Amino acid sequence: MFRKYLFSVDHKIIGLQYALTSLVFLLVGFMLALVFRWQLAYPGAPIPIVGSLFGDLNAPGGIMLPEFYNQLVAMHGTIMVFLAVVPLSVGTFGNYLVPLQIGATDMAFPRLNMSSYWLYAAGGVVMVASFFVPGGAANSGWTSYPPLADIATTGQTFWLVGMFLLILSSLFGSINMITTIVQLRAPGLTWFRLPFFVWAQLVTAFLLLLAFPPLQGAAILQAADRLVGTSFFLPSGLVVSGQVVDRAGGGSPLLWQHLFWFLAHPEVYVLILPAMGIVAEIIANNTRKPLWGYRVMVYGVCFLGFMSFTVWAHHMFITGMGTVISAFFQTTTMIISIPSVMVLTALVLSLYGGSIRFNPPMAFALAFLPMFGIGGLTGLPLGLAASDIPLHDTMYVVGHFHYVVAPGTIFALLAGIYYWYPKATGRMMNTTLGWIHFAGSFVCMNIIFLPMFVLGLAGVNRRLYDGGMQYAHVQDVLHFNVWMSHAAFCLALFQLPFIVNVFVSLRFGRRVGANPWQATTLEWTAAPSPPIAHGNFDVVPVVYREAYDYSVPGADNDFLPQNRTATP
Amino acid sequence: MIELPYNAEVRPDTGVTSQQLGMWLFLASEVMLFGALFSSYALLRGGAMSWPDQSSLVNLPLAAVNTVVLIVSSVAILRARTRVRIGDIAGFRRAMAATVVLGLVFLAIKGVEYAGELGEGLRPSTSNFLGLYFVMTSLHALHVAIGVKVNAYLAWPGASRWAREPARFTGRVEAAALYWNFIDIIWILMFITLYVI
Repeated sequence: MFRKYLFSVDHKIIGLQYALTSLVFLLVGFMLALVFRWQLAYPGAPIPIVGSLFGDLNAPGGIMLPEFYNQLVAMHGTIMVFLAVVPLSVGTFGNYLVPLQIGATDMAFPRLNMSSYWLYAAGGVVMVASFFVPGGAANSGWTSYPPLADIATTGQTFWLVGMFLLILSSLFGSINMITTIVQLRAPGLTWFRLPFFVWAQLVTAFLLLLAFPPLQGAAILQAADRLVGTSFFLPSGLVVSGQVVDRAGGGSPLLWQHLFWFLAHPEVYVLILPAMGIVAEIIANNTRKPLWGYRVMVYGVCFLGFMSFTVWAHHMFITGMGTVISAFFQTTTMIISIPSVMVLTALVLSLYGGSIRFNPPMAFALAFLPMFGIGGLTGLPLGLAASDIPLHDTMYVVGHFHYVVAPGTIFALLAGIYYWYPKATGRMMNTTLGWIHFAGSFVCMNIIFLPMFVLGLAGVNRRLYDGGMQYAHVQDVLHFNVWMSHAAFCLALFQLPFIVNVFVSLRFGRRVGANPWQATTLEWTAAPSPPIAHGNFDVVPVVYREAYDYSVPGADNDFLPQNRTATP
Repeated sequence: MIELPYNAEVRPDTGVTSQQLGMWLFLASEVMLFGALFSSYALLRGGAMSWPDQSSLVNLPLAAVNTVVLIVSSVAILRARTRVRIGDIAGFRRAMAATVVLGLVFLAIKGVEYAGELGEGLRPSTSNFLGLYFVMTSLHALHVAIGVKVNAYLAWPGASRWAREPARFTGRVEAAALYWNFIDIIWILMFITLYVI
């Protein structure tokens, strides 16, 4: 029992463990956002329904204190990025699907895979526990900039410990993923026959492998600053609350920013690449034709991965780093937009001339394209120093990256859940509930995030706990906050059909065979639904053709499985 | 548990075993971890108003001895690797035991160094140099300790696996040797950076 479900080494069980845990964290992160969205819409008004749960230290009489607002925002970011989206896209989809898509019986190191999950779970427990220590959870933002983070309350130490565990988890996971893809591809599955999703996971794993350790180093240094009194990130003569801090000094707060963004910019691509992979699979399947420019997409995604290590300082244009360095980083930033546009364009062109099947996964995948497009294009002004300087730290930035991650990545992940649910359970999810979920989420997401650009351009700073009440120049736009918050509450309601759907379909969903979507890749064509508990396949498949042989002229079917021999 | 292919035998089209590839990938991430710390050192030292005379604070002679100890242990583990490859398990055990003992000697000398510095009232909080010195060398010592534990396991209880799965066991020894040589190289870089220059 323990071995089978709790401490399983089977990649499918581990994938489902990741799925359950990360979806719970997605919900937790979302609920934190709902609480502070109330505060932004109605600053100073008592929080309804849940207000009394937070205690007098956080919200006396249900009225949120600034310190509590900071905790909510910092932990919303941390939970969403490190505990929800990355584990969902890499831990869940990567773990579950990559071995199936490449025809492997398991990940290359099954026990390491199990330890990845448990390190992630431990990191999550530490992060959640931090809400209950004196001073509450980390409150210096998800970026944890020193010197503020160095002198923050105990929650920050928990944050560092949690991050350390999470980084270790994704490090083990990425070693496993790369080794699996390189070593365990089925006979005949050459590199350019890999489904695009596998390529996306491979590049993502390299980013996790090489970008996360520097933050681990940085976390060690910040922990030393906090616990043993070093001053790596504390400058000389720092004054806190009117007192000169009694430290040796001589440190550099900018050092943290460099180390953090060296991780966190590749991290952005960790968030987006698996989403692109999921969308590519669903689009190819539902347009019933091969991806347009598969090789271009593969080259694009590899180039994207490489370039993502060279752009980190575009988050730091206002640190006074000088025009030469700014020029370098804005050039690399403009260059990195090229492969992103290449991949997105290829996906859009794939739609052309297809006889498109519309279903909930396809709807989410199609919505991903314009949503990610908006997120990406609004990023361009942030990549150029001249336009970034006025926009930096405004709501515009929040709107930009939420468009990339929320209606972008999260839509793709939801698409993936609807698409691969029958593979994991042997049953379809309910289509009607799926459409309600999609339509409601799509409308609400846009009402939440589109006004953020307006707010940002009007000059609303992103870190104000009253939403900017005391600034005269933003009074004309603050009414948007009410709309945005109500849309956020509606978004929560529209997730109910999804939650119901996931659980009810488990029992009452329509039973399906191995390949309900008539797809070509191995997870559908060679493995039953759900795949065999240990070993995935009845016989290890042999691959004879490319990943997306849809509508091959002269074929007896409009799809030719990768493991099918006879040429039409 | 399922037997996965190419764990200990070379996959013809990639030319590596999963064990080897996994260890190389792990070491790549370690390069980034220590690289971040060395970069922090460079940035903090480069931006500092004043920097202490390093060799007057730390114990250069002891560290030099330690460098020799670690290099000899690296040679020993390479000998262990050669022995296990040709199937001389007794010879492997002797060489691996020597590696373990030398690793423990390294840690002991490092402990003496720390005791000396703490005895002189030098703390990580005293200056950024000492902070980096303590953080970097203790992180390295942690790596050495993990290596010693793995090597000890391979030398004694683990070696019984050789009879059952010679290829897999040999692969593990090779991976352990790679790791041990890597932390030796890291130490040499630390010795130069934190003690000599």
